[in-house]
Amino acid sequence: MKELSLHILDLAENSLRAKATKININIFEDTEKDLLIIELEDNGIGMAEDLLRKVENPFVTSRTTRKVGLGIPLMKAAALRCEGDFKISSEIGKGTRVISIFKHSHIDRAPIGDIGQTIISLINANENVEIVYRHSYNGNCFVFDTREIKKILGNVSINEADIMLWIKDYINENVKNLYRNSQ
Amino acid sequence: MRLDKIVKELGLEVLTERDIEKEVKGVYIGDLLSLVMANASENNLWITIQTHLNIIAVATLVGLSAILIAEGMEVEDETIKKANEVKIPILRSKLSAYELACRLYELGV
Repeated sequence: MKELSLHILDLAENSLRAKATKININIFEDTEKDLLIIELEDNGIGMAEDLLRKVENPFVTSRTTRKVGLGIPLMKAAALRCEGDFKISSEIGKGTRVISIFKHSHIDRAPIGDIGQTIISLINANENVEIVYRHSYNGNCFVFDTREIKKILGNVSINEADIMLWIKDYINENVKNLYRNSQ
Repeated sequence: MRLDKIVKELGLEVLTERDIEKEVKGVYIGDLLSLVMANASENNLWITIQTHLNIIAVATLVGLSAILIAEGMEVEDETIKKANEVKIPILRSKLSAYELACRLYELGV
């Protein structure tokens, strides 16, 4: 995909389908070590060993509407194309963890993209799911947590259009500041 | 246009079982699989340099007519095996995607 944020959205949608109530999205960037690591962790239903072993194959999917599932295979291909690595681990009843590692400076590495849009798409898909987004760039860190936003909002629903737009800008602005402050 | 005619006219290598008596409607060129999924049309001939098993998944999803590998790229056995299973022909040429597109245009595809 053109942006890594779209891969993240795809994988997080798997988490929603796996009935996760909490999704951690961690982005770790270190230009000194030339690393970009994207980690997704959920508390969904998890996968058994035999499904886990097959899940990197695009012809394996839990969908019944079609035979093909490309979320995991495409993320894996994107990471390996950038001299990176891809690992997935899961436990039934506990959840699933997906780690994608990229060489930060690799010419084929897609930009991270509109991460704010990805987060609000997830909130929009299920407002009850709690999302914690951690982004660190050369030691500077930004954390976004839907539970904190909901605490401030009180009785106001998090997926009101105005609030969603604010969240999207808030995240993107803070990510931009991470880069700016590290220069 | 018929796929077997295209194979003959362009001198393409057929990597899968010769299941090429089918119709091709238009051509799509692209190496970013998500874009191909979004923008290619049914029965297109798809020109790409990607060779991973994922291309068969994309071709199945879109209902592509065949995959044409440009620049003589090496294709994984797993990909060819799956292509035979789902009956999507994989063709190959040493030409670039641009040169292939020009030849196909001249042919009237």
